[in-house]
Amino acid sequence: MPTKNVVDERISKFKNKGKDPAKLREKRISECVELRKVHKNESFLKRRNLTLSSLPDEEALSSDYISNAMVTLPIEDIIRDVNSDCKESQTRGCQAARKLLSQERNPPLKEIVDAGLLSRFVTFLCMDDEPNLQFEAAWALTNIASGTSWHTQQVVDHGAVPAFIALLASPMLHISEQAVWALGNIAGDGAAYRDILIECNVVPALLARIAPDTPVGYLRNLTWTLSNLCRNKNPFPPVSAVQQVLPSLIQLLHLGDKDILSDSCWAISYLSDGDNGRIDVVVKTGIVSRLVELMSHEELSVATPALRSIGNIVSGSDLQTQVAVDAGVLKVLPQLMRHPKASVQKEAAWALSNIAAGPCRQIQQLITCGLLPPLVEQLRNGDFKTQREAVWAVTNFTSGGTVEQVVNLVQSGALEGIINLLQVKDAKVILVIMEAINNIFLAAEKLGETEKLSLLIEELGGLDRIEMLQNHENDMVYQAAHALIEKYFGDGEVVGVKVDSTDDGFVFNADVQGTFDF
Amino acid sequence: MIPVFLPSCNALDVDQDPAGSQVYLMSMSLTTEPPDDVPAVTEEPESKMTVVEKDKKEEEEEEEYVVERVLNRRVVKGRVEYLLKWKGFSGENNTWEPDDNLDCPDLIAEFLQSQTSAHDGKRKTAGDAEGDESKTKKKKDDTEKLRGFARGLDPERIIGATDSTGELVFLMKWKNSDEADLVPAKEANGKCPQVVISFYEERLTWHSYPTEDEKN
Repeated sequence: MPTKNVVDERISKFKNKGKDPAKLREKRISECVELRKVHKNESFLKRRNLTLSSLPDEEALSSDYISNAMVTLPIEDIIRDVNSDCKESQTRGCQAARKLLSQERNPPLKEIVDAGLLSRFVTFLCMDDEPNLQFEAAWALTNIASGTSWHTQQVVDHGAVPAFIALLASPMLHISEQAVWALGNIAGDGAAYRDILIECNVVPALLARIAPDTPVGYLRNLTWTLSNLCRNKNPFPPVSAVQQVLPSLIQLLHLGDKDILSDSCWAISYLSDGDNGRIDVVVKTGIVSRLVELMSHEELSVATPALRSIGNIVSGSDLQTQVAVDAGVLKVLPQLMRHPKASVQKEAAWALSNIAAGPCRQIQQLITCGLLPPLVEQLRNGDFKTQREAVWAVTNFTSGGTVEQVVNLVQSGALEGIINLLQVKDAKVILVIMEAINNIFLAAEKLGETEKLSLLIEELGGLDRIEMLQNHENDMVYQAAHALIEKYFGDGEVVGVKVDSTDDGFVFNADVQGTFDF
Repeated sequence: MIPVFLPSCNALDVDQDPAGSQVYLMSMSLTTEPPDDVPAVTEEPESKMTVVEKDKKEEEEEEEYVVERVLNRRVVKGRVEYLLKWKGFSGENNTWEPDDNLDCPDLIAEFLQSQTSAHDGKRKTAGDAEGDESKTKKKKDDTEKLRGFARGLDPERIIGATDSTGELVFLMKWKNSDEADLVPAKEANGKCPQVVISFYEERLTWHSYPTEDEKN
């Protein structure tokens, strides 16, 4: 009927009504989405460095991948080119190898090594008149050295080390930087290669590259390589090398770039992770204030190694610890003890435990600077590793603290905190807790208040737990538990029988905790 | 002759002593000794213990074993025993020895000290934060990277689509990366169908159509 067609026509002019839903949907898809301008064909076809064998079948058959795999040379051609005498071929082959070695997934490190190309690459490193070749070779060798120890060994065994050290002085910054990177990989393999590099005088060669106008990217690589030269124990780096590196490290620590700061802090953390003599070398540079400052850095990648460094320093002598305290570490520690990341909390608790292992004047500073509340929080809420460190802090505190300081500690809730941890599985932790309790009793004895303390501990549920520990499988635990019960919870009671508040001799004061004072 | 003990290990926790090295405390129970071995102990100065063994032919072999460290302590049937690490032997050869057989009071004292005294207190490295440390080695990646699924990343969600290349492609946001890129819809449909479905579902709109009455 004509009328219907007219109506339909009119309706079809409306935006959505009467239109085929499928067509509408298509239109929406193509119209409503915002996309970035991407060169799509280019980006599809820019699939680099894939060999067919490394792909699952369906991908291998896709035309995109096939066309691109043909863009890079197959290995036989690379070998032929690299071994040729023609500079252009060498460069082409070396570049192709470099691209293979740079691919994101499964770079064929071993294939390149097994193809016997390394000695050629090392030769290329020395060709100062062919900087492109030098650069490609340096990059290729860098990536091989980034593999396992075996890979790194191949690079070193082919004589790359002196060549790379020489390249540090290259007038071409990108080549020098590549050498820095390669040497970083070699040093990072372990103490042996690290010390070989140091013997070859790599340190002065590296330090000579630091200048006011050195680009940040270069400095990042340099700092990382320096940190690897400070890294590893058994043995530690030679003290002479450390002395050489430190002044530059201090300089780098005053810059603003977060990557430079992070690696500099890691370097300091390695250098301070040793005996007190090693710590001394670090502390004497005066860097501790800056480290404390960096503990509050907004980047976790900086704060973490700064905290580690300070943690190492306060594991040293009382004097060394005092340097950190004077630099304000106690103001910074509380927020780290409350940090959302568990490992940060743990390291902060560990640092605190070492400060608490100091003389009572340092323990006093812990109290004054408000370290007890976060400590108690950690005992209550921390994950187990954090709690373990916090327990050590408490025990160290009770061991070195004055009677008054121990009372302070108990009043802060720390005693309750450690009592609640008596049920953990870790026998060592239990022993540390019981030593703390013992120490607290020793303080109570000086005040003549051991009974009050026994009551308090019972009130807090500690007596029950300690009684149960008399059945613990670890003999040191049950002996310690038994000794505690005998000494402070005895008075003729049968071991293991719970004391009833109606029994004679015990006044069970429900408010004991609140009014408890030694 | 090395006395051979078959350990049944009752491991305690991996632990740190204040000196900073890892001490793995293992308790080993002694099996029955070979019947013809009668270990007799003579006292030697310092940290040595001499085990004298007689074999069937009544020959006496005297060998000296040097205690390197005292690792643990226990009480068995009223006797105090110490777990000893022997110098020159691996930890597998650690043995429990009765207290009265030993003459290494300084090593025992050192052990007891390490167990009870926290107030020497300072403990080096909290240990296992290795994961946080900076990389030991770094590979230099190509500046022109792989694209799409070849990057080996997990799809997070699709943020756009187009067919202006001639086929339908999606703009894919990957997990743990800020760099989104294009993937063919066919590939995505196969590899992450749920992600594709989510994309379409988010964009579904329902429409009502005019009824017969409304047309008039």
